[in-house]
Amino acid sequence: MPEAIALVNLTKYYGKNRGVENLNFAVEEGEIFGFIGPNGAGKTTTIRTLMGLIRPTAGEARIFGSTIPPGGGPLYHQVGYLPAEVNYYPEMSGQELIDYAAGFYPRVDRRWIRKLVEILQFDPSRRIRTYSTGNRKKLGIIQALLHRPRLVVLDEPTSGLDPLMRQNFFNLLQELNVLGMTIFFSTHVLEEIERICHRVGLIKEGRLIHLSPLEELPGRRMKLITLEVSGGGPPRGLPESWGQPVPVEGRPGRYRLAVQAPPGEIVREMARLDLEYIQISDPSIEELFLAMYDAPEKGEAANVR
Amino acid sequence: MSVNVFRQEFRLNRRGFLIWTAMIMAVLVLYLSFFPYIQSPEYSELLEGFPAALKDAFNIHQIVFEEINYYHALQVLPYLLLLTSIYAAMLAGRLISREADLNTAEFLFTRPVTRNRILAAKVTVFLLMMVLLWMLLYMAALVLAAAVDPGAFNTTRQLWVHLAGLLATLAAGGIAFAAAPLINQVSAATTLGVALGFGFFLVDALSKTTEKLHFLRYFTVYYYAGFEDAAAGKPFYPGMLFLLLVFLLGTALGFLLLHRKEYTG
Repeated sequence: MPEAIALVNLTKYYGKNRGVENLNFAVEEGEIFGFIGPNGAGKTTTIRTLMGLIRPTAGEARIFGSTIPPGGGPLYHQVGYLPAEVNYYPEMSGQELIDYAAGFYPRVDRRWIRKLVEILQFDPSRRIRTYSTGNRKKLGIIQALLHRPRLVVLDEPTSGLDPLMRQNFFNLLQELNVLGMTIFFSTHVLEEIERICHRVGLIKEGRLIHLSPLEELPGRRMKLITLEVSGGGPPRGLPESWGQPVPVEGRPGRYRLAVQAPPGEIVREMARLDLEYIQISDPSIEELFLAMYDAPEKGEAANVR
Repeated sequence: MSVNVFRQEFRLNRRGFLIWTAMIMAVLVLYLSFFPYIQSPEYSELLEGFPAALKDAFNIHQIVFEEINYYHALQVLPYLLLLTSIYAAMLAGRLISREADLNTAEFLFTRPVTRNRILAAKVTVFLLMMVLLWMLLYMAALVLAAAVDPGAFNTTRQLWVHLAGLLATLAAGGIAFAAAPLINQVSAATTLGVALGFGFFLVDALSKTTEKLHFLRYFTVYYYAGFEDAAAGKPFYPGMLFLLLVFLLGTALGFLLLHRKEYTG
């Protein structure tokens, strides 16, 4: 498969501050690639470099085999981009912005734009200054997809969208991917990765720490269990592989565990305890990273605070 | 040049252009229609009492009040240039710095158009608006002068006077284009415009007050515009060429800096 994106020893420093260091990976055409990392890890720096907004300190970024040209250019005919924070000209209406964006591309299909507007239930007649964050995000999605790009780069695309819109958006992305669109998106919501990604790259403190198909994502099956047993004190008799429960700060008697075990095993073990309270949830990216990459020993890996 | 960007920028800046044009036009009407009154003996006596340095600073000479060509070039044009240079520097600065301020750079500079073509479209909008503004000022001056002093207004000389005004305005814009990529806030671009416009005007006035400060005139666009020479039918061509060069070099520097600018959000 040809490469849609290739990063070769990509390094970016802002003065003395680290952006990203020696990033090396490629996204193949037709893939949905999830780029995950906690805030400040370097996701947006990587994306801005790809979009030609900043220049690498060293190494290079390529799109469809071409090095990102300084000052942008025709390469971006085939690329759609949704920034994390969507900002447009406040005095324009949504429709005017859509027309302006469409004016940069030859032969834009107006029916397709109308379909996007419909799917996202977007009202383009209002002034941009009156839009909520969610509506601005919808406008951002429309302008990123209106020219049916071969590659779409999405930076935290769902922040600000309500659950129904997220659903519509992911369905749309999957449809477009089936038609051949490559999707590169950054997020810190694990559930989104689980939903649509083929491969994932994990970035932490500017370095790529993991790259694999989704199935091999470490901690993918991790569950966070918060519990309180009758009479207080830590829960006893849990499997050793689960690690030691950690007290929840400010909640006496309540403990937390990060567990990688089949759901059936978790339910069986919980059923043996006399519980006052229980909550089982997916970890956030930050919690996952803390559990998987910050713990010095395996025994402490489950101790998520 | 991106026609799409040109159309959009023209639309976005149309309202500001109309407001500024109306305001500058009002100043022109006010000053030029004052010409018949300024020729009265009472007014001449009043001006005689002014200190010499002040008269030099503001071009208050006898000929200015006797001849409408000099009056327009030396009493009206400097104030028009004060306003047009503020507007030009503000517009040029805002055209660039707005993208960083509003964070719209992430939209505009990720389109399939190079930054150079985007800036070329913005510069074209700027040029078009400035040429339109000065054409309107010239036409309005012709009409008004014909009304206040029929037959006295020399259209060819005044064409050179207005051309010099246009070039001085462009030079102010060129300086702003050079500085704009370094500015990330529209408010700072506005401040730059006001500072540049008033700076030129005041430094020019100051340079005429004493011999010691004469050198300061080289740092203003007024000296190079040479309004007095143009009104006398001898345009200051080297000065006008210099103003054009300032515009071209400033804009070229703007291209270079914008091309290299990093948008970190």
